[in-house]
Amino acid sequence: MLIRKLFRTAWSYKAQFISMIIMITLGMGIFLGFNMEWRTIEVDTGNFFRDTNYADYRLYSEKGFTSDDLQKIAAIDGVDKATRYLTVNLDIKGEKNKALALDVSEDFNVSTFLVTDGAGYDANSDGFWLSDKFAAANDYTVGDTLTLEFQGVALSGDIVGLIKSGEHMICVADKNQLMPDYNTFGFAYITPKKLKSAVEAKMKDTAAEELKKTGIPDEFIDDSLSKLLFTDKDIDKVLDQVYAQINLISDMEKGALEDAVKERLGRTIMVTPKDDHVVYQEAMGEAEEGKTMGSVLPVLFLAIAILTMVTTMHRIATKEKLQIGTLKALGFKNRRILRHYTSYGLFIGLVGTGIGALLGLGICKLVMSKNGMMGTYFDMPDWSAAVPTFCYPVMAGTVILLTLISFLSVRQQLKGTAADALRPYSPKKMRKMLLERFPFWDKMKFGTKWNLRDLSRHKSRSAMTLFGIVGCMILMVGGLGMRDTMAGFLDLLDSDISNYTTKVNLVDNAEKKDALKLADEIGGDWESLSGISLDGDTVSLDVIHNPNNMLNVIDEDKKRIELSDEGVYLCLRLKDKAKIGDTITFSRYGSSDTYTAKVIGYNRAIMTESVTMTDTFADKLGIDYTLTAIYTDKSADEISSSELIAGKQDKAQLMETFNSFVQIMDSMVVILVVAAVILGIVVLYNLGIMSYVERSRELATLKVLGFRNRSIGRLLISQNIWLTVIGVIIGLPAGVGVLQWLLAALAGEYEMKLMLGGLTYAVSILLTFGVSLLVGLMVARKNKKIDMVEALKGAE
Amino acid sequence: MAIVQFENVTKAYISGDHELKALNDVSFTLDEGKFVVILGPSGAGKSTLLNMLGGLDSPSEGTITVGGRDISTLSDNELADYRAATVGFVFQFYNLIPTLTVYENVELVSEISKDALDAKQMVAEVGLSDHLHNFPSELSGGEQQRISIARALAKNPKILLCDEPTGALDSETGVMVLKLLLRMAQNYGKTIVIVTHNQSIAKMADVVIRVKNGKIRSIEEQADPMSADEVEW
Ligand SMILES: Nc1ncnc2c1ncn2[C@@H]1O[C@H](COP(=O)(O)OP(=O)(O)OP(=O)(O)O)[C@@H](O)[C@H]1O
Ligand SMILES: [Mg+2]
Repeated sequence: MLIRKLFRTAWSYKAQFISMIIMITLGMGIFLGFNMEWRTIEVDTGNFFRDTNYADYRLYSEKGFTSDDLQKIAAIDGVDKATRYLTVNLDIKGEKNKALALDVSEDFNVSTFLVTDGAGYDANSDGFWLSDKFAAANDYTVGDTLTLEFQGVALSGDIVGLIKSGEHMICVADKNQLMPDYNTFGFAYITPKKLKSAVEAKMKDTAAEELKKTGIPDEFIDDSLSKLLFTDKDIDKVLDQVYAQINLISDMEKGALEDAVKERLGRTIMVTPKDDHVVYQEAMGEAEEGKTMGSVLPVLFLAIAILTMVTTMHRIATKEKLQIGTLKALGFKNRRILRHYTSYGLFIGLVGTGIGALLGLGICKLVMSKNGMMGTYFDMPDWSAAVPTFCYPVMAGTVILLTLISFLSVRQQLKGTAADALRPYSPKKMRKMLLERFPFWDKMKFGTKWNLRDLSRHKSRSAMTLFGIVGCMILMVGGLGMRDTMAGFLDLLDSDISNYTTKVNLVDNAEKKDALKLADEIGGDWESLSGISLDGDTVSLDVIHNPNNMLNVIDEDKKRIELSDEGVYLCLRLKDKAKIGDTITFSRYGSSDTYTAKVIGYNRAIMTESVTMTDTFADKLGIDYTLTAIYTDKSADEISSSELIAGKQDKAQLMETFNSFVQIMDSMVVILVVAAVILGIVVLYNLGIMSYVERSRELATLKVLGFRNRSIGRLLISQNIWLTVIGVIIGLPAGVGVLQWLLAALAGEYEMKLMLGGLTYAVSILLTFGVSLLVGLMVARKNKKIDMVEALKGAE
Repeated sequence: MAIVQFENVTKAYISGDHELKALNDVSFTLDEGKFVVILGPSGAGKSTLLNMLGGLDSPSEGTITVGGRDISTLSDNELADYRAATVGFVFQFYNLIPTLTVYENVELVSEISKDALDAKQMVAEVGLSDHLHNFPSELSGGEQQRISIARALAKNPKILLCDEPTGALDSETGVMVLKLLLRMAQNYGKTIVIVTHNQSIAKMADVVIRVKNGKIRSIEEQADPMSADEVEW
């Protein structure tokens, strides 16, 4: 009998039950979805990194590493595997604006790849293993021929396999490229043997040039002759320079490894942990981002869901008071009644959490799957879905909490005798509000007084409603604001900072003299980026030469700073390090020489934390630097290739890659805004119905007195509107605050300044009011159906 | 002159598969300014009759004319306006708005009635000026009922309809409230219809209508009703 009662009661409270289930589903779904997302990133990338022997450390040396060096390093206790490594960006011959990162792993036990099509790795092969995504985007298949331009000579071969590699899981040309674009950039591996033959070819070329200069007629110069000019040893020497990197797998601490390397090689080597490698850094950045996102908004959702549940359950229990009394009078034991009503909470908890888990999986898959948002970012073979361990207790806890809430609400009603329980629920006594002390109170219309007193009488209901509106507002401002900020950031990058057409990246070992000549030829600004240590932190030193306005250094107001030659500029994020007029001391990476300079200003550096100075000032300090990039208004075609150039990037293309980033952002924003609207509707409707049910007797009285349906409806709606106004007033700054906090937590290496467009404010406010008005109308419509005779029958 | 006219009024409720006629082909007329008492056993249809007269419900068949206007076919809004202008209700359970003070509860009607009477004066007339700014929950049942009488009269309606106004009060308070009700109705010259189980009240009425099983048993005009003081309560 009680079971039948359970269903009948559930049916009579169907609006509340459904809304509670929706709330729990949404709360749980978003909570799980966001948290599964970052956990899945960690697990999937972790597996992929393990399978492709992703390096823990990368050692860089401009002079390169000899086989001897490698052996010494491999022998260090704690280094598991090590290999000499090369990765260099090369243009594809015969294709416009397509480039590949060419990788060579000498021992092929570190930084390897997985084959998705074609042949496996073979140290004797003369072919290329090409990124399968790049192949798909550019219609390459196994068996096609590929020709790269390597230091002025052609490097040609067949594609023998299609691959994925951890080293290039996020396949970007450099840190300035936010999103992979497989139409223009991919990666490929060759064997060390093939690299050696490429080097040899290059040396023959050079030798032939030399011979020509000596006056030997062209027809006598051939391979065998030029081969006489160098030995195999000479080739190895050049190779030693080409292998500018050692990749290794090791659990050692960075400091310990640095010391060990220095001891073995007798020189300081730049040791970068995987945390500084763009792939690992970005992947973990995404996971971190997910963690931050997962820790605020979903918790807000879950909290609202549970609070709604508390108020609703309490209302239902008080409304069921008579029923409970009757059951008691009939002789049902307290335990039985408790169990019966408690099962409502359990039911809602189980159903809500169950559907929520499915929703969570859906949200997670929306982001983390081959065709999901991350599908265009990460190039991985396997996509799973992983749940962080702490989510299980949260799920179980939610169900238990919901059950407990209904248990407690009912137990409160069970206290006392059956007769007590049979006495109907008497509302709290009215007390005068503070507001009534003011003279204007008497002048207010009855409806206003009625609503104000109603709000103060049902404080928890009003607070919940307010909470819902504030939550709705925060989600909308947060979501839309995030997008605005991103757009503002891109705009800053596109129009205020970058004024060039093409960015020419220079090779690592470019001679400064040659690079300056090249910069002069193509008429551009240039910069030199390198690592320095400032108060123990690693930041960038940005030596800039920008009289041509191609690359601007800007101040807080986005205005170009005409750089002075008298000191250095700190980026705003380093503001705390020194005041203007103070001096800072820094040292070059891997060197003990220190430099001291006066801080003469702050600038907005959006990509890296940096110290900026002019080349003139750098020369004054005696800093030895090499150019890393030239910025010019010439198009990529107009710049003839040269040994100095590692790659050319079109600004328009660069900005295009940001677009896919914006698209990911847009989908997130849509999720948030839709969630906000659902949240708003459900919370407000639930509470609106409760308020309407509680006031049905008063509403019926008003009807009897002769108030028209419409004016009663207006009364109901105006209460909603007031709460919405207050909610918006609180929610707007709260949303901005949450966003600010999120940005600070997410910023990472980008300096994102909070930017909110007028449209964001307008849309958030209008949507929130729209939701509130819609729900108000839905509730007001119910008012029409009040049966006056019925409502007034019983005692108060 | 007849102010109320019921012509073949039937109110049927469908419950399950059978039809229940709460009022069955009822016809009668009431004259203006009269004191009418409706008597009858429980379930007879008294409240149904009163509610229909008050425009809370519409008849299934027949016409109800009040002040020359057929109210049985009015729309929701027209009915609301009719209630606002023509009738004042007093219920067994006072139905005051708990979140409004005594004064506000009475003052409320000025928002719907064009010729509403002064709220303060009405409260004074039911003798509760001291409680003007109290909330209903701070008053006794009798006091609450007096406020609801003040509210019903403040609208300045043509007809006052009372459904067991003393039903929830002890007999002493009930008599006091009843006397007040009658005095006020007479002072303001209102037609008043009271549904009651109390036989004593009937002795004071100009007209006594007896209802049973949805039918009118008798309509009795008393040429010389007793005054409240003469009645044995
Ligand atoms: N909404 C309804 N649905 C079905 N039947 C109803 C409804 N309202 C009243 N009735 C029936 O109509 C009949 C008359 O009811 P009414 O309330 O008019 O009686 P009454 O004379 O006022 O009784 P009491 O003195 O007990 O108040 C009753 O038999 C009742 O069961
Ligand atoms: Mg009745």
